[in-house]
Amino acid sequence: MKVIEQEQKAKVRYKINGQQYETEVEPRRLLVHVLRELGFTGVHIGCDTSHCGACTIIMDGKSVKSCTILGVEADGSEILTIEGLAQGEKLHPIQEAFWEKHGLQCGYCTPGMIMQSYWLLKNNPNPSEEEIKEGISGNLCRCTGYQNIIDAIKLAAERMKGQ
Amino acid sequence: MYPPKFGYVIPDSLDEALEFLEKNEDARPLAGGYSLIPMLKLRLIRPSYIVELRRLNDLHYIKSDDKTLYLGALATHNEIATDQKVKKSVPVVSAVSSVIADPQIRNMGTIGGELAQADPVTDHPASLLVTEAKVKIKSKGNERIVPFEGFQKDIYTTDLKTGELIVEVQVPILKGYTYSYKRMEDTAAVAVLLRKEGEVIKDVRIAASLIGPVGTRLREAEKVLMDSKGDSKSIEEASKKAMESVNPIPSPRASAEYKKKLVGVYTKRALLEAMGGKQ
Repeated sequence: MKVIEQEQKAKVRYKINGQQYETEVEPRRLLVHVLRELGFTGVHIGCDTSHCGACTIIMDGKSVKSCTILGVEADGSEILTIEGLAQGEKLHPIQEAFWEKHGLQCGYCTPGMIMQSYWLLKNNPNPSEEEIKEGISGNLCRCTGYQNIIDAIKLAAERMKGQ
Repeated sequence: MYPPKFGYVIPDSLDEALEFLEKNEDARPLAGGYSLIPMLKLRLIRPSYIVELRRLNDLHYIKSDDKTLYLGALATHNEIATDQKVKKSVPVVSAVSSVIADPQIRNMGTIGGELAQADPVTDHPASLLVTEAKVKIKSKGNERIVPFEGFQKDIYTTDLKTGELIVEVQVPILKGYTYSYKRMEDTAAVAVLLRKEGEVIKDVRIAASLIGPVGTRLREAEKVLMDSKGDSKSIEEASKKAMESVNPIPSPRASAEYKKKLVGVYTKRALLEAMGGKQ
């Protein structure tokens, strides 16, 4: 059994976008804060109450809201953030589709939307419009630009089929 | 928003977790965390220690035999919703799991956590009440199995005592039943499980959840339909009884009166769908 006291810091390791990171966190620190301090500022803090999905990342293969996970709790996990999607200069098909279909207005919700779309298409490569809507029901766009976001996910699904 | 300060415990085994929880009365176990962490942020609770459960693999499973489906306390809503065994053997549990909150929350949220938290706005109670599920509870050196009905006493209040953890939910596998689940997010839900012999309803179970304070079996409504053919008059009467027998708490989105009416409407719709033979 390991006990980390209130003021103590715990050593944690994550594999983020394919690279190993080691840092120290107090038990109360949230994963979203830890990730941002490690430089992954594409992970946005929106509502901070697990409603809006701006902080969505992929943790051990599942999409999760990193504002509602403790940094210590995620120790040892494999994490994918928006920064890990593009291959060098080459954007991921979902990113390309969001660009082409203008699946964003202010852009604040975009990283979370794209990470959730990534998980959705991984589990359901050919979603219906209803399934897309349900799939992003945990992500809010305050600009209400949902129509283009849905179009972008449809286009991405189409393009990713060939891969 | 930061949670308040707390110590963090990573037990190597369930026994270690149970022992620590028994010795530290104000320690709180952490499963998926999607109810607990928001409560910490809001300072609704200030535990001395958080005891991590997610790595305890012996609580993380979905199993079944001929008669019962066994859901480990750490089975997530998404795992329950997509598991083929659950879909085949107890489809109402699968259907209810698939609509809880949103996909990210279903990826983290666990059935044990949801039941222990007893948040009034939860879906599982409806399906666990109609299937007459049981909850297996462990403490250091002790184990007990209790019916889910009655386990949740009030908002955020359950039958769990200091040092006790839910380790498993046991759902009876019922053959020859049809089901339906009707809901409005965060507001009201009704589950129906029904078995006919020929034209006649031989067993019917109706339960409401999401309306608060806790999920309820609607037995007065069930009585109306037992041994009937489920004609429109008895369905109307059952819906009326369902509406009259609930006592919802108001929420920012809906008054108690509105929730009551929804229970009536959903009871009718769920009965009609279940009679139509969805299984």
